[in-house]
Amino acid sequence: MLTFLARRLLGTVIVLAVMSFVIFLLIGLMPGDPIDIMIASNPDLTTADGERLKRLHGLDLPITERYWNWLTAALGGDLGYSRTFNRPVLDILLPRLGNTIILLGIASLTAIAIALPLGFAAAVNPHSLTDNGINMFCFAGISVPAFWLAILLILLFAVTLGVLPAGGMGPVGGGGGFFDRLEFLVLPVLTLTIASLAGYTRFARASMMEAMRQDYVRTAYAKGLSVRNVVVGHAMRNALLPLVTVVALDFGALFSGALITETMFGYLGMGKLMFDSILANDFNLALVGLLFATLLVLVGNFLADIAYAAIDPRISFKSLADQ
Amino acid sequence: MLKWGKYVAVATLVVMFIPATAKAAKDELIIGISQFPTGFHPNLSSHVALSLIHGMTRRSFTVYDADWKLICLLCAELPTRSDGTIRDWQTEDGTPGLEVDYAIRDDAVWGDGTPVTTKDVLFTWQVGRVPEAGINNQELYRRMENIVALDDKRFTIQWNKRTCDAEAINDFEIVPAHLEATAAEDPAQYRSRNIYDSEPTNAGLYFGPYRISRVEPGASVTLEPNPTWWGQKPQFKRIVVRTIENTAALEANLLSGEIDYIAGEDGISLDQALTFQKRHGDEYNVVFKPGLFYEHIDLNLDNSILSDLRVRQALLHAIDREAMSERLFEGKQPVAHTSIHPLDSVHVGEVRKYAFDTKRAGELLDEAGWTDIRGGVRHNAAGEPLRLEIMTTSGNRVRELVEQVIQSNLRDAGVDLRIRNEPARVYFGRTLRQREYTGLAMFAWFSSPQNVPRTTLHSTMIPTAENSWSGQNYTGYVSPAMDEAIDKVEVECGAAEQAKWWRTIQTEYAENLPVLPLYFRANAFIMPKWLSGVTPTGHQYPSTLWIENWTAQ
Amino acid sequence: MTSLADHPIDVAERQLFWRRFREHRLALFSGVLLVIIAMLALLAPLIESAMGIDATRVDLFNQYALPNATHWLGTDEAGRDVFLRLLYGGRISLLVGLVAAFAAAIIGTTIGLLAGYYGGRLDAMLMRTTDGVIALPILPLLIVLAAVDLNKVGVPTAIAESEIVSLYRMMFIIAIVGWTTVARLVRSATLSVRSREFVRAAEAMGARPWRIMARHILPNVVSPIIVATTLSIGSIILLESVLSFLGLGIQPPTPSWGNMLTNAQELITRAPQLAVYPGLMIFVTVIAFNFLGDGLQDALDPRASRR
Repeated sequence: MLTFLARRLLGTVIVLAVMSFVIFLLIGLMPGDPIDIMIASNPDLTTADGERLKRLHGLDLPITERYWNWLTAALGGDLGYSRTFNRPVLDILLPRLGNTIILLGIASLTAIAIALPLGFAAAVNPHSLTDNGINMFCFAGISVPAFWLAILLILLFAVTLGVLPAGGMGPVGGGGGFFDRLEFLVLPVLTLTIASLAGYTRFARASMMEAMRQDYVRTAYAKGLSVRNVVVGHAMRNALLPLVTVVALDFGALFSGALITETMFGYLGMGKLMFDSILANDFNLALVGLLFATLLVLVGNFLADIAYAAIDPRISFKSLADQ
Repeated sequence: MLKWGKYVAVATLVVMFIPATAKAAKDELIIGISQFPTGFHPNLSSHVALSLIHGMTRRSFTVYDADWKLICLLCAELPTRSDGTIRDWQTEDGTPGLEVDYAIRDDAVWGDGTPVTTKDVLFTWQVGRVPEAGINNQELYRRMENIVALDDKRFTIQWNKRTCDAEAINDFEIVPAHLEATAAEDPAQYRSRNIYDSEPTNAGLYFGPYRISRVEPGASVTLEPNPTWWGQKPQFKRIVVRTIENTAALEANLLSGEIDYIAGEDGISLDQALTFQKRHGDEYNVVFKPGLFYEHIDLNLDNSILSDLRVRQALLHAIDREAMSERLFEGKQPVAHTSIHPLDSVHVGEVRKYAFDTKRAGELLDEAGWTDIRGGVRHNAAGEPLRLEIMTTSGNRVRELVEQVIQSNLRDAGVDLRIRNEPARVYFGRTLRQREYTGLAMFAWFSSPQNVPRTTLHSTMIPTAENSWSGQNYTGYVSPAMDEAIDKVEVECGAAEQAKWWRTIQTEYAENLPVLPLYFRANAFIMPKWLSGVTPTGHQYPSTLWIENWTAQ
Repeated sequence: MTSLADHPIDVAERQLFWRRFREHRLALFSGVLLVIIAMLALLAPLIESAMGIDATRVDLFNQYALPNATHWLGTDEAGRDVFLRLLYGGRISLLVGLVAAFAAAIIGTTIGLLAGYYGGRLDAMLMRTTDGVIALPILPLLIVLAAVDLNKVGVPTAIAESEIVSLYRMMFIIAIVGWTTVARLVRSATLSVRSREFVRAAEAMGARPWRIMARHILPNVVSPIIVATTLSIGSIILLESVLSFLGLGIQPPTPSWGNMLTNAQELITRAPQLAVYPGLMIFVTVIAFNFLGDGLQDALDPRASRR
């Protein structure tokens, strides 16, 4: 177990180091930068102004040098200032991170809570009316892009029915307790849940069907155990494995995944922040944010591996440590 | 008292989704816009959303009003030559310049009670001159050779260039020396330490009718009346500026009553507004204001096809701009004939105009040697096809639609137009700036009235690798007549000379067509019936500068 | 699937496959439906000339027409025929969805099999790479690629200057970042199959690793691959519309279901029907692919024959 932990930790550090450079390079490679765009849209600014601003923001140095400067400062605990907000990176990032965790946490849990029973119900009676009905419902959900789903929900619940707020994070101008904020979460959570429901349900169904074909489940049936006992006792454990993988993967993809939902509902999460900071060449903000995302993916997969070992007796920590 | 009122308002807002409640509370106004400012410092950030907010919290010395006339807001009165407040002057090395006297309004006071004085003027000027401080518009500060403070309220600016609009210092935005001086001690750190960004709710930063009382980055800015404001008391007890980036969602928020008013300066697209007006015209006032957004197509004149004037004229004849204006924008966006807006005082009406005429376009192309039509596309004697490329910003639905209409129009004239769009940052950041486009490039200029088109039309402003891509003459247009007119219009200030040179600029433009003019974009202001007093300006100085006239009835 | 071709399935097995597949009514129906949609899309130019309409012709005096005898589904905001644009859009959307999803499935399966079967350092390296790719932001990648001068990288001029170069770019990006789900799924399935008796037996008999992977492991991990791939065809078609929404999608005038949906968003109150048609096409296609996947999964499952 200790070896396993140590190795994973080392792996994580290496991935983070490589990723920070790749991300830095990618952002740096994007042609044009916001200062060029500013000049291009305002005839009063001269290019000399542009050059001066770039020098000021360190945008004129070669990319490797900029990366080195960033890395040494970051290792020294100075994550720097956001170039667009003129504020320390963490001041901007941390509140957003909290919002994202609330939104995505609720949405993922809701989706899983709905998807598991749906998927298993579909798997127990494949190709039945229930199964097909569940499938149709799910596919309808993934056939609508988030920006459409969002606007339809807003038009229905906020404009026509007038029962939910159309967007924002809480009462205008601030204030309000947790419950006041809760109603602002309903529509974004609904949008995200519908979008991820189909995937989870389909995977739950598939892996459940797979599990039910395994020899030992058949044996259990043969021994005369009830369907309920077989499903709950044996098949479900195994069916959870692929599902854990998918959910763990989503864990990291969540960051950018909510970009559209956040934009549509004016929700201040990480997705929008990352997108904007990348497009604005806000290196410090984008890098730290993306590294957070990478770290989340790594943690997610780490937890998934532990979950494997817990669920599947054939996979032990020893075999994990051999990796 | 104020604080208490705030809680009452919040309590009413909790049940906001009942639109009637929002409309009853008429001492509050919620403005919806589609972007959030990137910072709050008036000289470090340049953003339409910021200018909208600072319209309520600050006042410039001078500004163009809704009739496009220059007026004084923070200054006592406009300097003129006849008063002797504008005088000829020379720099030490003999360059002809000007001396201009200003006086700050006597009653001008920062939000914390500190009077606005020449200390603030000198401080702003000094910070602006230090390159490391990162002030955007450094050209302005380079031209201000010196500022002499005569007393607490009066000062003289010494310009190192003799121009005709020296009295206009619209972009000279002063900041409070008593608050910002500490942050500016190390100019290189000023960007990250300035109070506007680190403590935007500090009352002392503002002197307009309102001050910022709360900021939710990315979402909203809340404003409260500023007790030290010297002018007419504004009516609303609270104004919230909310940002909703998606314009369809912005519109839905208006309908659901969560915002009261969509500001035209940064609101929804014109065709959205037209549809909105049809459906909800009796519940809202929709005002369309054509402004100084000049939509046009730059032509790369280095392209051998486009260097032929007849081809350029044929292109403009072949594009049905009237139909576009009528069918896509219901006539709200008038067809442009030059870069100068008809409402601008220097506009000249009688220039050459190119009506939609596919037949005439064909004749011009025939004259230019593109006679052989094969597969619907014209070819020249050498067998080369008349194929051109058009670019614009990808993802801009209206521009992409217009682009496709043009493509279809030109096909009727035998021109094969290919569309190749790029994301805004690539397009503006490299392709246009380094003139890498091969044919046509569609985009817009946004400017102030009486803007001399030096950077876009003067031959010294063609970006090249040698001048490290400075200038915005992306077409590569060289015309001695145009150069002369631009040089003269800046310094020959007599009425007759001004009229003459402005006329030359516009005639040259229309005759030589380095650029295909399309139309002037209009902004749509969507107001509730109960809101009055909002006067759209149509230029870069927003309607919120007259927020004290806004009333609810 | 492609890797299955590495070793021939014998005739009896193939017949069994078809018999079982045909039993799956919905899958069969879906397959036929997809073929019809694909044929209609492929034959779009012929249908266009038969109808005597030009699909790219803009007519500003005939915007937002309702369905009529000439324009079966009406016209869009530029007065173009919606029916024909749907057909042309189908070409793009199906192409993007299929090519990107299959390419991603192949890359993912290969990496997952290698990682799961060999384990150890190779596994650790491949999986950490996967983690990195998952976290890789796709948008700057697209912007960087949008700015690369394709002529200079040796791409033939005909492609580099064609109007659908954004299509190739998008397929490429989705394929090189989209394989991670399949890779993780295949790896975890391989991990659990690796220790089974039949794999041990094959190893004991001296079978080569690639043969064990293709013959014994792959058939047992095929089910998550099919689910992931058929699901991803739908999500890729949607991703294309999201990219259009962000201005990084397929460029006009080339239609795709995705950019038709995106364009319709701002027109939601003016002409909601413009969103309904492409939305419906995506819905039908997504459902059909997934039912087809179900059928394939059942038909390919080696244990089903032992029932």
